[in-house]
Amino acid sequence: MLKQYPTLRFILMRGGWYFITFLVAVTINFYLPRLGKHNPVDIIMGKSGSGMSTEDARIKEEMYLQEFGLVKVSGSGATREIVRDSEGKPVRTTGFEQFVTYIGMCLKGDLGTSFQKYPKKVVDVIKEAVPWTLALQIPTIICGWIVGNVLGAMAAYRRGIFDKVFFPFALGLSAFPFFVFGMLLVYFFAVGFHWFPAMGGYANNVIPSFSFEFFSSAAHHYVLPFFSIFLILAGGQAIGMRSMGIYELGTDYIKYAKWLGLKESKVLAYLFRNAMLPQITGLALSLGVMIGGALITEMIFSYPGLGMAMLTAIQNNDYPMIQGVTLIITTSVLIANFTVDVLIGFLDPRVKAGLQIGKGN
Amino acid sequence: MMRSSCLKVLAVGALLLGLVSCGGSSGGEAGFPRSKTLYLAGSQWGDPNTFNPLVENWQAAWPVNDRFNLMYEPLITYNSLNGKFEPLLGTLVSSDPDKVVVDINPAAKWSDGQPVTSADVKFVFEIGRRFRNAATAFAIDFTKEILAEKLENGGERLTFVVNKESRNNPLVILDHLQAIRIVPAHVFEKLLSDNGNDLSAVQKLKIDKDPVVTGPYNLENYTNERIVLKRRADYWGNDVLYGGKEPAPEFIIHPIYKNNDHFAIALQQGKLDASQTFMPRIWLKKKDGVKTWYDDAPYFVPGTMPLLVINTTKAPLNDKNFRRAMAAAINYNDIKELAVSNYASDLEPGLIMNQGLEKKFFSAEDAAEFGVKHDPELAKKILADAGYKSVLKADGTLDHMLDKNGNRLPTLSIMVPAGWSDWEAMVKLAEKSLRAAGIDVREGPVDAGIYWSSHGPGNFDIVMRKLAENVTPSLPWGRFEAVMSTRNWLPVGGDNWMSENQGRYNQPGTPEYRPEVDSLLKAIPTISDEAQLAAAYRELNKIFMQDQPVIPLCYLPEQFYQFSAKQWKNWPTSDNPYAPPLLPWVGASTKILWNLQLAK
Amino acid sequence: MKILKNLLKSPMFIIGAGLFFGTLLIALIGPIVYNMTMDRVGAQYAAPGGGYLLGLDDLGRDYVSLLLSGLRSSLYVGFLAGIIATTIGTLIGIYGGFRGGLVDDLLNMMTNLFVVIPQLVILILISASLQEGRSLTLIGVIIGLTGWTWSARAVRAQASALKSKDHISLAKLNGDNTLRVLLVHILPYIFSYVFMVFIIQVASGILSESAISMIGLGPLDTVSLGTILNQAKNTGALGDGVWWAFMPATATITVIVFALYLLNTSMDGVFNPRLRK
Repeated sequence: MLKQYPTLRFILMRGGWYFITFLVAVTINFYLPRLGKHNPVDIIMGKSGSGMSTEDARIKEEMYLQEFGLVKVSGSGATREIVRDSEGKPVRTTGFEQFVTYIGMCLKGDLGTSFQKYPKKVVDVIKEAVPWTLALQIPTIICGWIVGNVLGAMAAYRRGIFDKVFFPFALGLSAFPFFVFGMLLVYFFAVGFHWFPAMGGYANNVIPSFSFEFFSSAAHHYVLPFFSIFLILAGGQAIGMRSMGIYELGTDYIKYAKWLGLKESKVLAYLFRNAMLPQITGLALSLGVMIGGALITEMIFSYPGLGMAMLTAIQNNDYPMIQGVTLIITTSVLIANFTVDVLIGFLDPRVKAGLQIGKGN
Repeated sequence: MMRSSCLKVLAVGALLLGLVSCGGSSGGEAGFPRSKTLYLAGSQWGDPNTFNPLVENWQAAWPVNDRFNLMYEPLITYNSLNGKFEPLLGTLVSSDPDKVVVDINPAAKWSDGQPVTSADVKFVFEIGRRFRNAATAFAIDFTKEILAEKLENGGERLTFVVNKESRNNPLVILDHLQAIRIVPAHVFEKLLSDNGNDLSAVQKLKIDKDPVVTGPYNLENYTNERIVLKRRADYWGNDVLYGGKEPAPEFIIHPIYKNNDHFAIALQQGKLDASQTFMPRIWLKKKDGVKTWYDDAPYFVPGTMPLLVINTTKAPLNDKNFRRAMAAAINYNDIKELAVSNYASDLEPGLIMNQGLEKKFFSAEDAAEFGVKHDPELAKKILADAGYKSVLKADGTLDHMLDKNGNRLPTLSIMVPAGWSDWEAMVKLAEKSLRAAGIDVREGPVDAGIYWSSHGPGNFDIVMRKLAENVTPSLPWGRFEAVMSTRNWLPVGGDNWMSENQGRYNQPGTPEYRPEVDSLLKAIPTISDEAQLAAAYRELNKIFMQDQPVIPLCYLPEQFYQFSAKQWKNWPTSDNPYAPPLLPWVGASTKILWNLQLAK
Repeated sequence: MKILKNLLKSPMFIIGAGLFFGTLLIALIGPIVYNMTMDRVGAQYAAPGGGYLLGLDDLGRDYVSLLLSGLRSSLYVGFLAGIIATTIGTLIGIYGGFRGGLVDDLLNMMTNLFVVIPQLVILILISASLQEGRSLTLIGVIIGLTGWTWSARAVRAQASALKSKDHISLAKLNGDNTLRVLLVHILPYIFSYVFMVFIIQVASGILSESAISMIGLGPLDTVSLGTILNQAKNTGALGDGVWWAFMPATATITVIVFALYLLNTSMDGVFNPRLRK
């Protein structure tokens, strides 16, 4: 039906696949943490201190089981009752029942209440943390990507002394473990020279608000975390782009174009467009590891963000929190990948050709 | 084309960063001026989630959690330096095996102007009668009822009647009086009735908007990066307790850092005034103004002992000879030196410290006779005498062990939370010396989730724990209770949650059961004669050393009390011990706030 | 042979190979030549010198011994992860790229799934369910199992470009089955590419291990370069100016990864005629 609109058909097909991927990912992320044999309520009991009698411990444990929807409940409000089996033990809800409840809540925009950050809502945790993660990671990744690719392309094309100096430097940078780089930045620029603050997202004496004080303080605290990621990322991107550039320079179509006597600038334009494609894919992929990467930055700089929330959630079997964070990751990565796929569809002559001829299926 | 756009990007980037750096350095005293603010850290590590005083300790944020008394206050405080009780919302009048009597301070007021009354005290101490799952429900096991009578000065006298039928323990009532903070009954009764008398609905409220408190400070605002408290101008205690003075800092800020290093950096840079985090090699930080109670080793006052809890139901750990051999094998000096930077004096055998308030119960004679110290040869001898054999590899290192019947024994794992660096170091050193003595153990670091969920049901071989962390009136009884009591004895596994004696020592009904342990644990809280008390403790400690149900590893301070005098001076130290070595937010140390002075 | 000859002409290759085989050699014969000990031999963070070339760690252990053992662990993890990731990535990429259509879409979906399920979730979950906890091998396997997505995409692009080549079409017409076409007609053409992917996967495996250890989720059964760095961070070595706690380990990681990158780039140059002029 859509045969006469190959582009639209392509976008819809891709979109469909991504939607299916999304559903599968949400399901896996729901069931994965539940495969572990460790009961999240036991963790809470362990922290709830000593002095409890056996009976008190049982009552408390049941309260949490009920609170977190891990046991079946009848009635509502103050008359809620735990459903019990013949031995008086509470009847646990199955994973599937929890899944149905979870999907129902998700559709209403409710991601549940965190076990470990009780009584905080998962949505609130995400709302507080995501802006910081995005504000740090997006500009850093994009700047690093642009600067790295431009320098890499220059090195590939110009070669000579520029390449000879620049290339080993970029290679060394990208081989350097970025967290040690961050630690060294702190050591030299914060502890040694006092140029920049060593930790935090803003000074402790300012109140987060739309004020000059807050933004200038946040900007001042931004510098070291930014550079800790930016330089190493740019180095890595530059190397990738340089190889891709050189690679493309040796391909048949370039030779053919040259043989045809096309203008140098025209050849170069082809070259960079094609060399760019894998790099764009790389950009989309790096968004996927963003939150994991943010975690180390958060630790090294005590920077606000989602990474730490994710780590403690996984370590403590905080199901709602794990589900919430992975939902954010899944959504953002898939959207980024989808965008890149579509973009490449327009940019890459090979994919484009495939589109127009139609795949015959 | 490529090149010019590249240059553009670089230029814009440089410009932005330039702007940023200029802007940043001029930012400053906007919200909370440094000269009016005290920075304290080390209690809150994660996001502040709730300020509700009715939730579990670990769920509430500083200073509503634990025993902090900046917002909500207890009736009395305990001075861990001299063992005296100091008045706060109330004054301790007397305590005996039948009752504890406290007078409510007639001047004590809530921040909404209401007086503090017996109704407030009863609300939190007796909430367990209405809600068995309340956070302070345990109090009714100790206090049978609270009798209130009006006094001539307008105040009230409260009599906490010891619950003889249940725990019969006036000692723990004293613990409760200094730990349980009083919450406003008039506020929470209303919240309960608004929520259909459903406690869990009320526990979901964050109580972070103008909470009604009695303390000298109240919550100003908070983010995931810090919590800010502001001084209350109308704090009732300024006149009554401090001669009309106000606490010196107008604001108290608790920054939340995610990296242990940051506390040390902040303290050295003067951005933090005091921190209770573990900072190794404190002597290297002296030059940057980081100070401690003592200027030299051990720097801190010992108050607690981290220990290895042993699962005594599992072979070969069920053999007390094996446990004693372990205690003799561990190199305590290495642990003290390498894991905790010499922040403690030498460990003595037994569960009573030869230090501070407990010293009067410590018997050097018994320690020498019944206890074991680090002695690898002795460890090997005990093992050999009990029939154990260590099988070595060709290179002389340990391979495995055999029991007296020649059966191969499993490798025992010492559970420790992965990433708690000082704890891991202690366990690593213990492992090393145990293996050197031929005992087949391995460090078993686990993620926090497994750690917390394993010790209650006893799912471990050996687990590292810090029990009885706070120096409270009930020590050292509380420490013995935590490791030896069989009051709630349950077998290992399943949902069998035991909150004390998680190693399942002294199982009732077995031939090895020593009933005197439980009878001593029951008797000590009600003994008022000092000589009798010392004798009872001596006996209990003797049994402990003979049976070695757990193995203490070293002494540590109750709190790593580290401060900087760059901004605020007149902190208590060993030369000026006007308050115990704790940060000015807990127990009898809150008075530091009224004594601090600006350094410049 | 010719390729090797060309490679040997590249100074980049010589340096890269020299550095890489140098570290490999140190890792292999170091423990034999050097008298390794994991016991306490002196004071906490004793400075370099005094019989111990690189000083002592927080538990008074010799850093040379720790680094040697850490280097072996890191190389092991790198190769393990590299082999797993390259194998999975190549198989999925080559097959998807060649077959196209529904199979490609399904494999693509699988690749995307592995991108969106956080590595940490899998790592913590699996280690929690194993009796012995996180071992070095487990970490290598998990890095490999979660790190192949990138190589799958890269290989897929190559394979799909080859698909329309004449000789492949010819083979298909001859009735060769898919597997044969893949192995005989496609793999050799992109083998050099796959090998370079492998080198990068080894390098990123080594970096990943150190990052995972840095978060505190490193191997519990052995010393790796990552756990040495994590220990240095946790015990505040940086703040106290104990440079020997983290600089040698950092340098070791950087040198191996740098050498691998050099190898990769120099091969890139040899397989790519334009570089040779």
